Amino acid sequence: MDELHLLRATRNTTGTVPPAVLAAGREKLMQKAAGEREPAPGLHPVRPWRRTLFASAAAVALVATLVAVDVMGSGERPGVTAEAADVLNDAAASTIATSDPVLEPGQYLLVDTTGVAMTFASGQLGDTTPRWLSSIDTQMYVPADRTAEWVWSREPSVPVQFFGEGSREASERMKADLQADGIQMDESEVLRAPGGQWEGFAWEVLGQMPLNEFIESAPRDPDELLKMIYEQTEGNHWNTEAEAFMAFANILRTGAVPADLRAVIYQAIALIPGVSLVDREVALDGRTGVSLGMKGSDYRTRMEIIIDQESGQMIGEREVQLKDYRGVPAGTVTAWTAITTSVVDSAP
Amino acid sequence: MNTDKEIVERSRSGPAIFGELYDRHAPDIYRYAARRAGDFAAEDVMAETFLIAFERRAVFEGPSEAVRPWLFGIATNLLRRHHRAEARMLRALARNEGRRHSVDGLEEVDAKVDADVDRSRIGAALHALAPIDREAILLYAWADLTYDGIATATGVPIGTVRSRINRARRKLRADLGFALFDEMDSDHGRTAPAPRHA
Repeated sequence: MDELHLLRATRNTTGTVPPAVLAAGREKLMQKAAGEREPAPGLHPVRPWRRTLFASAAAVALVATLVAVDVMGSGERPGVTAEAADVLNDAAASTIATSDPVLEPGQYLLVDTTGVAMTFASGQLGDTTPRWLSSIDTQMYVPADRTAEWVWSREPSVPVQFFGEGSREASERMKADLQADGIQMDESEVLRAPGGQWEGFAWEVLGQMPLNEFIESAPRDPDELLKMIYEQTEGNHWNTEAEAFMAFANILRTGAVPADLRAVIYQAIALIPGVSLVDREVALDGRTGVSLGMKGSDYRTRMEIIIDQESGQMIGEREVQLKDYRGVPAGTVTAWTAITTSVVDSAP
Repeated sequence: MNTDKEIVERSRSGPAIFGELYDRHAPDIYRYAARRAGDFAAEDVMAETFLIAFERRAVFEGPSEAVRPWLFGIATNLLRRHHRAEARMLRALARNEGRRHSVDGLEEVDAKVDADVDRSRIGAALHALAPIDREAILLYAWADLTYDGIATATGVPIGTVRSRINRARRKLRADLGFALFDEMDSDHGRTAPAPRHA
């Protein structure tokens, strides 16, 4: 059962066109056809059709997993939410005290995201499936004038660490399978969009709200903000609190949330039942921060956000598996992302 | 029996024949649009797709098998207007979880709910994809286009299609995590149910 099977399984039986609707659409077309004597001139050049033979793509599977250097830290200590609240409220205070970088016209805020996740070739997934770590790196260039062109550079995903029986061979085999299908694992891509509106979409948070719109409209009161997030995420899962925590992590991950709102987000997270202080000192990509976490919706993982208490910046996040599962031992970090923001004079 | 390409070509001098193309593909376009953005949007997208295709029929070039991707490409562009409706659909899919749980753990969930959980997680995971990546993977998984077809539909090089689908699959896999494996924690001694078939 891989993600494609799951996707196809969600093709439900709805979506059969009602006969009246089908007839009405045909009628519109026929009226148009009847009214036209001359073929319309071409509006768009049509791309030449390239013919390639192509087998089904080998599945590329990513179960974010990282064998932790720093296993569990001090572990989860339930009931320390008051401690977590203190840390978050301190971070909020630091955030307010630390002003955001000021961008000159023409400059960009560069949000550099580095991450590592586990990869395996799907097929017969099981305890003995070889796994290896792959990189996931992206850079988002947010212009000083947020309506100007944003640039999003996505780097290729490459294996960074092998472990377990036959891991390297499996990764090479998968790469060869993909190449046979014409898929290059080492392609990077640079995407551009005015105002962060990619091909008709905004860079969105909460699944549907353009980031800029969220920044402008989000309540600057922690209770109100949390209420809004609960409303937005309600129904995503039975664990509303975990979903809200994850939604906040997704918003902070953009790296482009201004200090005043970031402070309110920390205060709002401090109101979510189940959030606890996981570790006062977590090393992440060369920096150190304090980690706050809660159990994820699947109860098998703990999601964590890692904050630099000095500046109030979120420096990253990680996910830790809480139980032995499918050959992955409890305490394994199953994903991490490190986020660095800086001001730069140009974008690629 | 005219091929798709013959219909397009003949319609340049005899417009009414374009109706055959409609009869052949309109239900598919509707179904795809309805899955992505609901019935209301689908009605609009289906009708509009063929009006636009009709206007552009003079400039269509390519083999017969490019006609369907060409139509899906037009529908895909139209669907971008409905991205809020799509977000609502995905949220509805994410809500399709069968029932709510207050137990600390999933020990009491039966296989049926397990299936629903996967569905709901798929909804949430699709939600989380970059829209262009989501578009590519859904043209592949829901509209059954080939990579070549998706390249035609979306007007980007095939390498870009590959990397988008790749990225979408990797991110889905990462977001779905262990929900992909139909079983509970091993320490509860439950065995995995038989895999479900799509």
